[in-house]
Amino acid sequence: MIRVEREEREGVGVALVILDRPEKRNALTPGMLTELVSEAERAADRGDALLVAGSGRVFCAGFDLAMCQASPDGAVMRLLLTGLSDACRALRTLDRPVVIAAHGAAIAGGCALLGGADVVVADRGATLGYPVVKLGVSPAVSVPFMRQSAFDGATRTRTLLPETFTGEEAARQGIVHRLEDAADAVLDAAREEAFRLAALPSSAYAATKQWVNTLEGVVARRDDERGLEASLGLTGGEEERARLGALEFGGPGGSSGGGPS
Amino acid sequence: MSELATLTFDGPAAELRLNRPEQRNAMSTELLGALHARMDELEAKSSPPTVLVVTGAGKSFSAGMDLKQVIIEDAGGVETPRALLASLARFTHRLRLLPSVSVARVNGAAIGGGCGLASVCDLTITHADSTMGFPEVDLALCPAVVAPWLVRKIGAGAARRVLLTGGVMTGARAHEIGIVDLLAESGDTLDDTVGSVVQSLCSGGPLALRATKELLNTLDGSIDLDVLLRGAELSASVLSSDDAQARLRARRK
Repeated sequence: MIRVEREEREGVGVALVILDRPEKRNALTPGMLTELVSEAERAADRGDALLVAGSGRVFCAGFDLAMCQASPDGAVMRLLLTGLSDACRALRTLDRPVVIAAHGAAIAGGCALLGGADVVVADRGATLGYPVVKLGVSPAVSVPFMRQSAFDGATRTRTLLPETFTGEEAARQGIVHRLEDAADAVLDAAREEAFRLAALPSSAYAATKQWVNTLEGVVARRDDERGLEASLGLTGGEEERARLGALEFGGPGGSSGGGPS
Repeated sequence: MSELATLTFDGPAAELRLNRPEQRNAMSTELLGALHARMDELEAKSSPPTVLVVTGAGKSFSAGMDLKQVIIEDAGGVETPRALLASLARFTHRLRLLPSVSVARVNGAAIGGGCGLASVCDLTITHADSTMGFPEVDLALCPAVVAPWLVRKIGAGAARRVLLTGGVMTGARAHEIGIVDLLAESGDTLDDTVGSVVQSLCSGGPLALRATKELLNTLDGSIDLDVLLRGAELSASVLSSDDAQARLRARRK
């Protein structure tokens, strides 16, 4: 459910990693998150920049909630939360540039992934957000990464208030870094960004990225772990089980990912 | 005295109202005492409200510290303003640590400590035409108690510009720079905006909200009371200066 297309221009490589499950709005499974990390590491080993995108109408609707619902003891949710934290951290600490093309929608776990990117491109009208507290799930796992790109007030609002917001608002708050008018222009714009960054001197890029990570405390893993623990602390509990269990999924081929729409 | 701040409950939501409208809800020793008493009641509840709306009675949210009580010759020494500032510091800390998600309904002017109170809340909502800001430096005062909250909320760079340039701004501008999280178009639609936010928050799982808020408070340093009390000392020492006291006396006339 992850597809990789390597692109090369004048000796510069970009690994386009596509979340490829359009019939489920690219809802994340534990396996997809593991694959994302290994593809990211493989790309960096080749010296490529990483461009993460989604196939179909939206970037990513979040966790596969149907899978979570079918696992009432919380085992799948635990794997997803842990996989998400690991993926955000892997993207953040990758020596090579990471660009995400967040077209259409990036919800819940899909929005959390944006916290791992160096540059996020979205359309003005894209739908973003973490409406997961409605499901009894805490987006705490995303907080350590989000507060490194957005200011803390924005992080607080976005993680506590279970509402979506637009790409334009996300750009004001530092979650999105380049806006396009139309969703179908996002991938090309993100590709431009990825090739531009990929062509920069790689040792300077890596040193600068890791220094900023050090200053932000990314290398000190404590905050990531605290966030993950706070989310895991609710998993399998009564509130989450009741709310997740009550979730009904849309029509054929409808949404199985992300928060309730 | 307790009617200086009122606390009402409505299902999973509660409202804490500063109730000194004739003084634009300026925070006096007595008003802060009433706020602490209401906080005692909230903290004593076995199941705290999911959401706490903080607002002001009348046209203003809060004009900030009661400047009459910080004129040392009237207050009978520096101890009164020092205690007032420490009381504000402790109240902001208690509000932030409350398990309920706090929402500032900034119905009108939120100035100085009033703007600080709005910034402590988890979400700050106002309308485009309200007046907000930190004009302390204009008055030879130092907004040291509320500065940590503003730095946390909008980042050190933006907070530096706001606190060191003084003055006031519209609610629309406060939204642009992140002091305000959600903006209603006008005072007429403020309650609709606040109502839908409260409803949305109440649709969240209380445990999920609480776990998320606790983590936010841990990571951004909100649990640190000491920095606020040091801020209160700094603020008290700046306002004791001859310059500040002369300006405060001149304003009184």
